[in-house]
Amino acid sequence: MSAAKPVPLTLFNLKEGIIESSADQELVDAFAADFQGLRHYGTKIGEALDLGTPWTGMLQEDDLTVTYSYFGEGTGPNDPGAGALIGKKSLLFELLTKVTTQPN
Amino acid sequence: MPANIAPSLRSALERLRNGGAVNGLLLGWRRQVLINALPFEEFRADKLLRAVHDMRDHFGSGGDRLPHTFWFGFETCHALVIHRGECVLIILHTRAEEGDFLRRAGQTFLEDSQLLIDDLLNPTDHSEQESQETNLIGRLY
Repeated sequence: MSAAKPVPLTLFNLKEGIIESSADQELVDAFAADFQGLRHYGTKIGEALDLGTPWTGMLQEDDLTVTYSYFGEGTGPNDPGAGALIGKKSLLFELLTKVTTQPN
Repeated sequence: MPANIAPSLRSALERLRNGGAVNGLLLGWRRQVLINALPFEEFRADKLLRAVHDMRDHFGSGGDRLPHTFWFGFETCHALVIHRGECVLIILHTRAEEGDFLRRAGQTFLEDSQLLIDDLLNPTDHSEQESQETNLIGRLY
């Protein structure tokens, strides 16, 4: 995603298979697509190495970082979690910490 | 007489293990495994490489995106995937807080190892090359 203006840190909630956010619909749809892709391919990687399903996933471009994380109750499609999207190359651990410390 | 230092791709890759609690490493070029230093069988390394390439193709399929780093957390370890050109480096590591350091170390490895990777992909017969150089010098005198 390349927008003219960098997207500020935007947070999303994953609850019962629904993505909630105060962001506009276009951004929610963009996050939802990346979240599904990360979840799908993270599971493929887990299958390849017999590691199970990932509890977190992140992708990074030069001008975008997208992440999601589950809160520990499970990694199923309806389990609670959170996600974030920011229009810059952010630190991996910093963004993961930000997402995992979101109120459930 | 100075020692003949032969830089090796595998030893350069193995040095990444010192960057943190690293469980395993995989270096690939296109869909081919170059070095499998993972604690898994070869077929799993192949499967992993296919998955990371499919993933990059999926996210880059629109033509306007080029994700270069992916990071996943599993129950027992993290998988850090770094793409550079046609090469991909996968680092399995334990501590999440080491992700950023390992990413930078991995990117530097991929950048600095391009000649070694090229040498591995296009091996040249060094003895033949040396002999040709000797002949050239011989002709000058």
